[in-house]
Amino acid sequence: MQLTSLQYMDGAARRAVPFGLTLILMLFALTPTYVPGLSDVTPMLTLVSVYFWSIYRADLLGYGAIFGIGVLEDLLMGTPLGSGALVLLLCQRFVVHQQKFFYSKPFVVTWMAFAVIALGAALIRWLCVGLVASSGFTPIGSLLTAYLISVAIYPLVAWLLAKTQMKLLADI
Amino acid sequence: MRQPTGQISRFGTLKSLLQRFAFLSLVGLTFALMLIGKADTVLVERARVAVTDTVAPILRFMSEPASAVSNVVSNVRELAGIRDENAELREANARLLQWQSVAQKLETENKSLRSLLAVTPEPTASFVTGRVVADAGGAFAQSVIVMAGRSDGVRKGQVVITGNGLVGRVMLAGDSSSRVLLISDINSRIPVLVGDSGQRAILAGDNSGRPHLLFLGTGAAVPGDKVVTSGDAKAFPPGLPVGQVVSAEDGIVEVEPYAARDKLQHVRVVDYGLSGILESSAPEG
Repeated sequence: MQLTSLQYMDGAARRAVPFGLTLILMLFALTPTYVPGLSDVTPMLTLVSVYFWSIYRADLLGYGAIFGIGVLEDLLMGTPLGSGALVLLLCQRFVVHQQKFFYSKPFVVTWMAFAVIALGAALIRWLCVGLVASSGFTPIGSLLTAYLISVAIYPLVAWLLAKTQMKLLADI
Repeated sequence: MRQPTGQISRFGTLKSLLQRFAFLSLVGLTFALMLIGKADTVLVERARVAVTDTVAPILRFMSEPASAVSNVVSNVRELAGIRDENAELREANARLLQWQSVAQKLETENKSLRSLLAVTPEPTASFVTGRVVADAGGAFAQSVIVMAGRSDGVRKGQVVITGNGLVGRVMLAGDSSSRVLLISDINSRIPVLVGDSGQRAILAGDNSGRPHLLFLGTGAAVPGDKVVTSGDAKAFPPGLPVGQVVSAEDGIVEVEPYAARDKLQHVRVVDYGLSGILESSAPEG
């Protein structure tokens, strides 16, 4: 009996891994890096994580969880409330909708697809923030830098997430 | 055999319908949140303060490793250049000793002149030092979270500096943490004086690392000009070093802040006793 409840807890903890990792990546993007030149831009790590899990384990990261993470990110980053959550929700919906396209595709294809989706996400967020914030539209230059860094960092983050997935979620 | 398949497919349809409903209602909720954020800023600010206060200890814990690595790197760098630095410091020391005697002379002179004119002394500034635990340097907002809050005496509108220069102002003050609006944020506007001639201008952020100068006559600034706060609008004390003009092309004058963003580990939140615009226009968060 005790073993079954332990097994149950183990399973529940593993199921929470995608949510937990997305949350950690969101907080990690906020911590100071002390790297010259990198401090002015924050890569969209949350988007990378949501995109990754939407392709491989969308069943473990629901819309509610994504909404919660997005709102928390907006609260912590000082961006208009709701804008981050909207983009994350749209990203997952799009990827899940195009599941057939992503099915067992090589890494380069998913990377390229991320480049396209991240561009769309960045532009939608830019539009939302510009319409809602009292300061108006922000210059597109720093947005582009953040976008390029996010695309460049994608392989590393995706590799780490894939390693975790294989180790912890292979039989779930 | 057919019945269970039918049940499963019906269950699948129901599930996908539910998911679509959840998705659409959550998207609707994000739009509602955006509208609420626009309409009721006080409510959203309260939520931000509460969440930041709760998460700040976690962020402090997460920022430890990066901070430790950065300290080690700078230690190694310092060790490498210690001989040259020593020679430079000796020179600087000799120069400063001369300045000290000049300053002492001026201080006595100043004192006697003040007593002649019966000048009221400026209020002394008090400060608290806090650690930077989060650096939200996005394309949409440029702010940092500092581990010092109302319980330490931090209030909305106070000035935040490092040893090198101006960092920004306290935007929201929670109990144990506070959010600082950096001078590079698009919402930041600071009255400044430029160069030796002291031309007045406004330093405006644009969410990039380099804020630019507004309302400055063409050709009024050249690269290398120093930028200091003017003290107009009583949001900042006059004479705080802000940065240096790095480029002045096509009427766009860019300023590199003295307080380097990648070296923001500890900042000083100073209470100059000023009644800035922020405090009077918006209630305390």
